[in-house]
Amino acid sequence: MKWGKSWILNARPDTPPIVVTDMENNAVRVVAHETHAARSGIFNGQSLSDARALVPDLECHSRDRAAERKLLGSLAAWCERYTPLVALDGDDSLLMDVTGCTHLFGGEASFIADIETRLAAQGFTIRTCLADTAGAAWAMARYGTERIIACDQHEDAISPLPLAGLRLDAALVKSLGRVGFKTIGCIAEIPRAPLTARFGTYLLDRLDQASGRQDEIISPLMPVAELASEKRFADPIVHEDDIKRCIGPLAGNIIALLERRDLGVRTCELKLFRVDGEVQSLSVHASNPLRDAERIAALFHERLARLHTDLDAGFGFDIVRLNILQADPFNGGQHDLVERQDAGDGYDALIDRLGARLGRDRVLQFSFTDTHIPERRFALVPVCGRDGKTDPEQIVLPGPARTPTRPLVLLERPEPIDAIAQVPDSPPSRFRWRKVLYEIARSEGPERIACEWWRDGRTSLSRDYFRVEDTQGYRFWLFRYGLYDRETARPDWYMHGLFS
Amino acid sequence: MAAIAHKRIADATKSLAQSLSPGPGQTACQPGASFGIPALDQHLSGGMWSNALHEVRCSLARDFACAAGFALGLAAQFGKQDAKRILWVIDPAASVDSGLPFPDGLSEHGIDPKRMIFVRPITLQDALWSADQAAKCSDLSAVVFQVKGNPKPFDMTATRRLMLRARESGVLVCVLRQSGAEEASAAATRWHVEIMPSGDDADFEHGPGQARHAQTLERNRHGRTGQWTLVWNPESRAFEDGTSNLETTHRVHRIHASAHRPDRPVEMGQVVDLERAS
Repeated sequence: MKWGKSWILNARPDTPPIVVTDMENNAVRVVAHETHAARSGIFNGQSLSDARALVPDLECHSRDRAAERKLLGSLAAWCERYTPLVALDGDDSLLMDVTGCTHLFGGEASFIADIETRLAAQGFTIRTCLADTAGAAWAMARYGTERIIACDQHEDAISPLPLAGLRLDAALVKSLGRVGFKTIGCIAEIPRAPLTARFGTYLLDRLDQASGRQDEIISPLMPVAELASEKRFADPIVHEDDIKRCIGPLAGNIIALLERRDLGVRTCELKLFRVDGEVQSLSVHASNPLRDAERIAALFHERLARLHTDLDAGFGFDIVRLNILQADPFNGGQHDLVERQDAGDGYDALIDRLGARLGRDRVLQFSFTDTHIPERRFALVPVCGRDGKTDPEQIVLPGPARTPTRPLVLLERPEPIDAIAQVPDSPPSRFRWRKVLYEIARSEGPERIACEWWRDGRTSLSRDYFRVEDTQGYRFWLFRYGLYDRETARPDWYMHGLFS
Repeated sequence: MAAIAHKRIADATKSLAQSLSPGPGQTACQPGASFGIPALDQHLSGGMWSNALHEVRCSLARDFACAAGFALGLAAQFGKQDAKRILWVIDPAASVDSGLPFPDGLSEHGIDPKRMIFVRPITLQDALWSADQAAKCSDLSAVVFQVKGNPKPFDMTATRRLMLRARESGVLVCVLRQSGAEEASAAATRWHVEIMPSGDDADFEHGPGQARHAQTLERNRHGRTGQWTLVWNPESRAFEDGTSNLETTHRVHRIHASAHRPDRPVEMGQVVDLERAS
């Protein structure tokens, strides 16, 4: 069974209440319940058998922590509309660093109100608190009633709150309670040395974090963009054309900033915030630093063209944001007055366009490894920009040869063939490959390529490669996998490549 | 009244003449680059046109390597000399059983593997789009579009578009059609490549020697068709006439393709190894 985020909105008074249960202290207990279930006497922490006694036809679901985490993650992504610094905190809360963001929403009060309204509309019950430190906000959101703690008032505000508000584990809170410490204010006033000696440094670290004497670093979920530009819509946009139309101006806003910093875009992403809480993210990559709004927009057009039907607009997007994730020094310099300007048909632009439309892993070039095993010798890797780490210089490739020793085309994997050959070392006299029989007219070999025992282990086999030509003129590269008697009793033959 | 009619007719002829002649943005095909083989150059009225679409096809999947060798030879000899990269677009159907160019083999063939860029889209539509985009890019030396059989979306219109793009950008575009039949297209030339027994190896007489292929010029926009035996010389990066040393250890009977005739005799067993048993 699957509910949307907003299942709570249409309460179901006629049906039995839904509860979520989990194993706690060796008993199955209720960990969450529907709002109207409280009327029947159900509360969190009640054992399931008690709840069943009250409401016999209770609808139970066991807790799915992975799904909860996923939901919280998607919520965190959505909260990026308020600030780029959003971090997950535990299983059920989000920490947001909103320094310098609240004025964009008309002050702290309307900022909090905006969060609460929007999340309530999505069906969440939330508690918020805005404070100078993350610790104070955490304590107040859970154990207090204030929603905004004024500047520099946080120490006084949290002092009447219970000690659990310092994010301590239950055992520590219990042992503190045993010696009479109940509130945060109690331990804030007494000498620190004896406290550390008895309860460890952790307690005072947490206290200092809450009071702001010690910095607390929150690790944001998403990389923080170097630059961002966004557009908010009073009326959500749905059409692909509308999205396309607003990318150009967004990129245009950023160009001036890039010019001031002498940077060019390498990686940027477009975030589309849907009104119902989903966030779509598209990213494009440029092989050389870009500083042209048209070309950035063109890359996103290709990326959108690839999505096409997969882009689910739902009820529309109300925020479109362009994040610059990676920017490198721009080396474009001055264009020649006479020479044709790079109007987007150069090699780099082509690679970027292909990569944006098809995916970067579809535009490939060779990379080499120093080995003799043919299929390990090369790999196809995505085409890199100028900083790409390719070191093909170390590998010695054979020079041009009128009678080649290596095939022009290598099969993706060696294909088994039925071969008739003299033992032990002769080339096959005839063989069958892909259901066709070939009679060998000429052959050269064997060329032995030994196994790489340091990678494949001691039991791996050597290969004897032969260049053969059949009576019609087809030239093949085939190998016998294993040496007669020494490695295997009955070696197999494989086709590995075709000569031109 | 008559004067106005005359003026109109004059205007119409003028605009018609303008539309027929290549405009400022539209360049005509460049005169061909010489093959270096007199008989062949004569047929091609001067040589291969480097800023045009050409097609190389082979009948069977096992012929793919020799067709690829010929296409890469064309790209190396007639591709844009001031540009570096050769872009190779692979139709997803073609990548199933044909294998990939091997860097060492490419290097021995006279082509630096670092010059090669491969594009492997998921659908044929994307492959067509990629080839189209690549043909527009004047920073490429050549574009090879590997396609299997005669897919319907790759029709006359698509080839004509590729031809126009190639003409504008000056890039040699080569369609490498594997296991495909003859098909009407806008290509300037269409070559059918067949395998031939190799020449003698100077170092080792029992071994396979230098590769030779029978190239049939099936279609030629600017001259007659014909058949030649060509040998690729990877050192000078040029094709040579392979008929001069025809002494081979084993001669086989070959059915010659018809030249100067409307159609060729049907070849037998054309699609023998397309389907695999398992």
